[in-house]
Amino acid sequence: MASTVIGAGITVEGEITTDEDVVVSGTVRGKLSAKEAVTIEHGATVEADVTGGSLVIAGSLTGNVVANERVDLQQGARVIGNVKAARVTIADGAQFKGNVDMDV
Amino acid sequence: MAANESIIGRTTRVRGRVTGAVDLLVLGFVDGEIAVSGDVTVDAHGLVGASVQGRRLVVRGAVKGDLLGEEAVVLEDGARVVGDVRAPRVAIAAGALVRGYVETGEGNGAPARASRGEAAARPAAQARVAPPPPKPAGKPAPAIHVAGGGGSANNSHGRAAARRPPPPVVPALKKAKGQIAKKKER
Amino acid sequence: MAQARTATHRGEGGQARIGGGARVRGRIHGEGDLVVEGQVEGDVAIRGELTVAEGATLTAKAVEAQTVIIAGAFEGDVAATGPVRVVGGARVRGNLRGSTVSIDEGARYSGRLECEFELPPELGGSSRGESRGRPAARR
Repeated sequence: MASTVIGAGITVEGEITTDEDVVVSGTVRGKLSAKEAVTIEHGATVEADVTGGSLVIAGSLTGNVVANERVDLQQGARVIGNVKAARVTIADGAQFKGNVDMDV
Repeated sequence: MAANESIIGRTTRVRGRVTGAVDLLVLGFVDGEIAVSGDVTVDAHGLVGASVQGRRLVVRGAVKGDLLGEEAVVLEDGARVVGDVRAPRVAIAAGALVRGYVETGEGNGAPARASRGEAAARPAAQARVAPPPPKPAGKPAPAIHVAGGGGSANNSHGRAAARRPPPPVVPALKKAKGQIAKKKER
Repeated sequence: MAQARTATHRGEGGQARIGGGARVRGRIHGEGDLVVEGQVEGDVAIRGELTVAEGATLTAKAVEAQTVIIAGAFEGDVAATGPVRVVGGARVRGNLRGSTVSIDEGARYSGRLECEFELPPELGGSSRGESRGRPAARR
């Protein structure tokens, strides 16, 4: 169970910072930074720059992404923004527009 | 944990507004308004820096803002609240500390669901704009000291006049109340 | 029917009771406890425990006591050195101050609570003089 859960019906407008992990199923507009895993579920809408230990994206994200370890875009993900991480995977069916920087 | 519950984790800090049709559990710090249609629980270590609106609010942590419950507000042991508390039902445990105006009764608390989920500022503005109803004839205002937030406390008191429970009917003392008014005006 | 202007309760630690059928207008002060079961209009200043029983009415400008328990109807300000309890079924209007203040769910209350305490530092530390929780600056 993630320590912070932004559920499907919830909207957060502003900045979220945490030392732990986050699962977003709802809407976040602003900024999101976690020290551990960030999961953006299918159906989630994130309009924010996101920083995390690792990121799994299955929903919609508009913003820049920085991860310490890896970023995985799953099928159904729609990402517009730059991604910077040591490892990046983009699954078949994911939509992506932006730069990828794996030079960490 | 409820299926539709969102959690602000222990080390999480949110700077901004949280809205939605969910239940919310605050273990961390929300530095902004919360306006949800579900229940809100502020845990013992939870902190909220602005008003909280929801269906049933349970507070064990610290809140600097108004608590508006559509159904109830429960302040448990350890709660620390600076702000007004309004809901049809309010419970305050002996170990809960409050500085603010508290009012129970229907008509208090969060506005109808339709307007929630949108700007939380709007319901708060609605609450203040409600026209103060006429006071019952001949009945003096209770000696409530308005300290600190004078203006807003007056408004809320005006609104309170409509919603406070009817004064106990004591026929023999009706005349006496006029005399008490004279005493207070001295 | 007691219409005394001032009723002084005699005796230390004794108990005074104003029965269900009694009506008092005037100030009540003294040592010991006071149980109001009837209708009282006037200030109360006692050293012990004040109880406003279910069905009773106390209307005052100021009430001072060690402990205050309200189960009936009360209007006025309370300053207690000890706990103030508003139990279910009570109807209270006025400001309450005590070492602790508790309100049972189901009681009707409107007024101010003024407890002395500090908020955690993240919320600004001192709570003195503030009743509105608006953050000073929002990003």
